[in-house]
Amino acid sequence: MRTIIHIAIREWKRIVSLPEYYLVLLVLPPAISFLYGFMYDKQMASDQPVAIWDEARSPLSRQFTFLLEETESIHITTQVDNEVTLQKLIQQGKIQAAVHFPKDMDAHIKSRQPVYITLYTNAASMVTAKLIYRDAAKVLITAGSGVILQKLVKTGMPSGKAMALVQPIKLDTYILYNPQYNYQKYLVPGLIAVGLQMMIIMATILALNLEIKKGTFYELQELAGNSASNILLGKGLAYLSVGWLHYILATCIVYPFFAQGHIGGSFALFILFSVLIMACISIGMMVSAILNDVMVACDVGLFYTSPTFVFSGFTFPRWAMPWYDQYYAWLMPFTPFIEGFYKTYFMELPLHYAYRELAQLLLYIVVTFPIALFFLQHKLNKPRLQHA
Amino acid sequence: MRDFFRQIGRLFLREVKLVATNHSLLLTLLLAPVVYAFFYGSIYQYKVEEKVLLAVADDDKSELSRAFIQQMNHLQTVSVEMAGDLPDAQEKMYYGHCMGYIYLPAGLQKKILALQQGDIVLAVNGARFLPSSELAGSLTTLALTVGAGVRLKYNEAQGLNTKMAMQETQPVNLDYRPLYNTRLSYGAFLLPGILALILQQILLIGTCESVAYEKETGNVPLVVQMGGGSLSVTLWGKGLFYMLLFLCYAFFFLTVNFSTLEVPFRGHPGDVALLFVLFFFTLIPMGFWLGSMFPNQLVAAQMMVFSTYPIFLIAGYAWPYDSLPLPLQWVSSMVPTTPFMRVYQSIVQSGGTLKDNYATVLHLLALSAFYTLLALLGLRRLYKRQQSISL
Repeated sequence: MRTIIHIAIREWKRIVSLPEYYLVLLVLPPAISFLYGFMYDKQMASDQPVAIWDEARSPLSRQFTFLLEETESIHITTQVDNEVTLQKLIQQGKIQAAVHFPKDMDAHIKSRQPVYITLYTNAASMVTAKLIYRDAAKVLITAGSGVILQKLVKTGMPSGKAMALVQPIKLDTYILYNPQYNYQKYLVPGLIAVGLQMMIIMATILALNLEIKKGTFYELQELAGNSASNILLGKGLAYLSVGWLHYILATCIVYPFFAQGHIGGSFALFILFSVLIMACISIGMMVSAILNDVMVACDVGLFYTSPTFVFSGFTFPRWAMPWYDQYYAWLMPFTPFIEGFYKTYFMELPLHYAYRELAQLLLYIVVTFPIALFFLQHKLNKPRLQHA
Repeated sequence: MRDFFRQIGRLFLREVKLVATNHSLLLTLLLAPVVYAFFYGSIYQYKVEEKVLLAVADDDKSELSRAFIQQMNHLQTVSVEMAGDLPDAQEKMYYGHCMGYIYLPAGLQKKILALQQGDIVLAVNGARFLPSSELAGSLTTLALTVGAGVRLKYNEAQGLNTKMAMQETQPVNLDYRPLYNTRLSYGAFLLPGILALILQQILLIGTCESVAYEKETGNVPLVVQMGGGSLSVTLWGKGLFYMLLFLCYAFFFLTVNFSTLEVPFRGHPGDVALLFVLFFFTLIPMGFWLGSMFPNQLVAAQMMVFSTYPIFLIAGYAWPYDSLPLPLQWVSSMVPTTPFMRVYQSIVQSGGTLKDNYATVLHLLALSAFYTLLALLGLRRLYKRQQSISL
């Protein structure tokens, strides 16, 4: 135990003195965490430039325009008079959407002729297109329902009955855990979590081979009494403590201030995060024990960690990916973690809902730690044999 | 002039040799772009998500509720999973077996037949952005359609013929036309940007690592001397290799990857080619400048790995530029990805031209000049430092 602690302290000294470690483990985490937090400070994309193509030029079209302007995402910036101009303005990036009110709109409504109000969006920018559609649809559907209600009431129907006919099925929609679809609340925790686990992997991938490159491996070997398990546990402990510092940074500073999270997170989240970090350490150590060339190890880390976020299913669901990508996603511990993260962080559920994900994370340790142990012990035995 | 081309040629050949003998550069520059492009591209191959699981708790158990459930199951975006009751539906969502639940209360059919409003509760897991918004959108449309159906029947019962009853049912309609991505698919939106980002990041990592390696091995004076003592020749002699290689990649991505992933290309190829040349003229000096600041190749690679997400996220592609806080808008304007993505998206996805985006093209040109200056200053600093050490 004493040896393990000595190795952990020695590793901490390396972490604070070598740029390969302190830049990745101590400088980048706060820098990236605050950048992500600040980036989504406005929480939602608001006041996107929208054009109006008003051929109706009526009180009703002006009223609709006013209601559209009142929404969060729409800001009427210009008037157009044809579809070609409208498309040109979108191509030039001057507007993101346009609303067209047809000629004689009011007269048609009165004469029982259905009216079509057209909403054009630049769907190449999907985030803004979806937000504008959501707001515009709400306004125009409500306005349309208002027209029906007025017509029915005019026939002498009681307002309650008229309302029931306007909307026979009232769908009460509850968007749980993020009712406003707040991007900051949604994206910041996930982006930071993925960044932190990448940093742990990219650092631990150099834990053993950088010792060889810098000529300190034999010193480590002596300190560990030639025991691979002492080295792995000692170094692992140091990286786990760095992971806990990252946890404090994320849950005590960044999540509460930038993503409306609870200070300190929760017990369930702490356990889940700790097991993720242990899995990352174990994977990193395995690669480091196998590959002696630090640059090749770094490239492996780069290749392995870079796609983590997109494969995890955080932004685009895994079930919508081809089957081979779904399998590949399971090679990365962030995939089960993110499932557990939904439950323990966003949904604030007790730990037992995330038992399956915890077990999956443990599996990464069970598989990779013995491999790391085997290769490292093999390396440790080699010079002894040569010496003998 | 002949000397100039000879020097450029020698530096170019030296860079080819360097890449061929440096494992990391070789892997990064020759393997990563192709593998990443197919790898990332395949994720969004199906472009849209379909059949999002939704738990249904039906306490009404009526003809109407069963018809409603059937209609839900027919939706492209929804796959119904029956739950015993409301708590069971909630548990299914808590365990992640479905993305939300819908509750049809007892007496629903009775109310609607009595011309009273019937309430249905839909709860979706907003922590999962995309599936929950798809579910909410689809079910709102379904509820409105069912509502219109009920009104149609009422109007017919009032003696109106079918045509008139239809007209009365929905006097004001929304005609939604999403331009340049008609299916509103996530894949069609993201794939062109991701492919360009892969090119950008690998080019940056490659140039950064190359310069950091020259710095680490003390070879900067030698390289500058090969360039006849001219820093510009050194920059573009080394840079020529990256320019040619990445123009080939860009051509490959825009032809092979775009066609295999079925990404539409609406612009003029000449405009995109010119844009890529300009973009690489900005990225190569930027990579040189960044590389000159890292102590060695390893740190250069490590740092550049972590630049991918921040650069992409502040570039205004995934999140609107105007929605960034003002200081980040300034930072974003200094990153070549921002003007490039704006013009690239306009040309490739919306069918725009370079002329339509001339102001943004000028922005990219200005950044090219700025980073060239920084790269030359960085090279001069390294040259002077290493020359004094060797003396």
